[in-house]
Amino acid sequence: MTEKSATPVSAGHLLTVSDLTVRFRSHGEAVYAVNGVSFDLDAGETLGVAGESGCGKSVTNLAILGLLPQPAGRVEAGSVQLSGRELTTLREEELRKVRGSEIAMIFQDPMTSLNPVLRIEEQLIETIRAHRDVTVQAARERAIELLVAVGVANPESRLRSYPHEFSGGMRQRVMIAMALALEPRILIADEPTTALDVTIQAQVLDLLRRLTAERGTATILVTHDLGVLAGMADRINVMYAGKVIESGTTEELFAHPRHPYTVGLLRSIPRLDGEAGGKLVPIEGRPPDLVAEPVGCSFYARCAWRQERCALEAPALVQIDGGTQPIVTTGAGATHVAACFNPVAQAEVAEGRPAAGRR
Amino acid sequence: MSGQRLLQVKDLEVRFPIREGLIRERTVAEVRAVDGVSFEVAKGEILGLVGESGCGKSTVARAITRVVKPTHGSIEFDGHDLAKAEGEELHALRRRVQMIFQDPYASLNPRMTVGAIIQEPADIYKVGTTAERRARVSELLGLVGLDPRFADRYPHEFSGGQRQRIGVARALALNPDLVVADEPVSALDVSVQAQILNLLAELRQQLGLAYLFIAHDLSVVRHISDRTAVMYLGKIVEVAPSIELNAAPLHPYSIALLSAVPIPDPAIEKKRKRIILKGDVPSPTNPPSGCGFQTRCWLKEKLGNPERCSTESPVLRETSSGHQVACHFPEKA
Repeated sequence: MTEKSATPVSAGHLLTVSDLTVRFRSHGEAVYAVNGVSFDLDAGETLGVAGESGCGKSVTNLAILGLLPQPAGRVEAGSVQLSGRELTTLREEELRKVRGSEIAMIFQDPMTSLNPVLRIEEQLIETIRAHRDVTVQAARERAIELLVAVGVANPESRLRSYPHEFSGGMRQRVMIAMALALEPRILIADEPTTALDVTIQAQVLDLLRRLTAERGTATILVTHDLGVLAGMADRINVMYAGKVIESGTTEELFAHPRHPYTVGLLRSIPRLDGEAGGKLVPIEGRPPDLVAEPVGCSFYARCAWRQERCALEAPALVQIDGGTQPIVTTGAGATHVAACFNPVAQAEVAEGRPAAGRR
Repeated sequence: MSGQRLLQVKDLEVRFPIREGLIRERTVAEVRAVDGVSFEVAKGEILGLVGESGCGKSTVARAITRVVKPTHGSIEFDGHDLAKAEGEELHALRRRVQMIFQDPYASLNPRMTVGAIIQEPADIYKVGTTAERRARVSELLGLVGLDPRFADRYPHEFSGGQRQRIGVARALALNPDLVVADEPVSALDVSVQAQILNLLAELRQQLGLAYLFIAHDLSVVRHISDRTAVMYLGKIVEVAPSIELNAAPLHPYSIALLSAVPIPDPAIEKKRKRIILKGDVPSPTNPPSGCGFQTRCWLKEKLGNPERCSTESPVLRETSSGHQVACHFPEKA
């Protein structure tokens, strides 16, 4: 995979995903869900992942945790290393130790991720005792501490409640408490606030921001909401058709997007502070069917900047302006990279379409 | 509101009884889903209705389309009261008020062809000959940006955005005056959402339609609607021209709501002050005394908990032309 060029083998990152390739097979057909994704993550960082339904953002996370639906989903190539330890080849029982204690996950819908027939108490205590050798009493005290930390009032009595007795926002807090119970080094939050109302979303995001900063947790925040990413992420990977097509610091990506798809995403959302009643610039067409093996640039069919070359050859994720500095993959100085042969010029960003005579 | 009035809703109330007992059923409580709502929509106007889950916005839509019968109040539509209409009168009125739904997967019958779905309203109202109805289907498909040849296909062959276009075509089949759109873009991906928003705006221009546009996403509502009404716990707490509401909201709930909407610009996000509301929305079966928002109101706290907030329910009153707010102390915000 050519994407590798953007992510030189670098030691010492908390998490290194390289050239991750996931396929789903069923009825003799293959779905090319993740096609060579590479990124690094350091402690204390929040990496945002943006993209629309079916772009592979959730599948990437499931693959990291070894949670791909079996037997259809398989990591076909690539590696996931946690502090240098390969996760893709770990046995299930080893992986189970990693999940929760090293890498924890928060899902979009707390109602389907909590067990409806068990009290919150049992679920929290079970999580803690599965990984830590502590008494029930000690685990219970820890559970109360956690509920206090996530802002659940009357934690002692709330522990006795069942999931359905909580509101959506409260349930999501319980999920966060559970995810942070074992002080994981990495938290993967997959659309954690998508099901919540905006005032409740603000509460939950505030909580996530505070808790991860206090604990130095590295976070992967997946969301389709670019507004949420603008306020939460240090860096962003934009995904399309199972690939990272642009990556950079949040400031850089919003100020100088270069990939036509990133520009399309930014121009197609109405903004609260934007011009009212103006016309949005939608991305025409729809995402490709991932059943066919990708040839050329996967955004080709919908791209206003496309050239002949794009149909035949897949662009690699590279520094756009031909910088010669070594590529930095993490932190505030992360290099801005994009996978495009004909990147958007700064002057075209505002309009969201190519300047006249450029195609 | 400017222009000729099309719809006037007055003191609308929808209550759902909670019943207990198998044999001797009795009403033990009531859900006050809509609790005294008044607003107007002019011909060709887009009124946005925003609020969080459970605030009653969808029930307002269901009352106006008469899927539910209001328990109190009137819905005046072009000289008729939709709240009380029955039989023939209701049948005739419904033709002029159509609906677009949130879920483009659930709102189209999978066993009907797209053509049959779009033609169904004309079949029900016996409009035109069979040939005319077929021609109208082609015309409608073209109008919403779909290939007229799609009429013979089934809904499962289409993407979410295309299905929503089919839903729009069906809503327009009878040339309605008012379209009630309940979260029409919230199930769609952002790039597709923009296509549908543009389509709805174009159709309004082209056909002079009025919309009651219901959504939880304030950015979307601000983008498309002329005026916006904010609902909380079954009541409208503020109404203003959309631009004004965003620039100078008066109700403490609207202020908090707007401050919570993320803006896709990291520079702005860093500097913004958010008002984070405490707790959850109270239950509409047992709303708080006085002002419905008082249990979460940051302004009430700031003003030293004035007694009036917990004893007296504030009425929606006009503070400047076209800007109404239901708060005892809007000038303090």
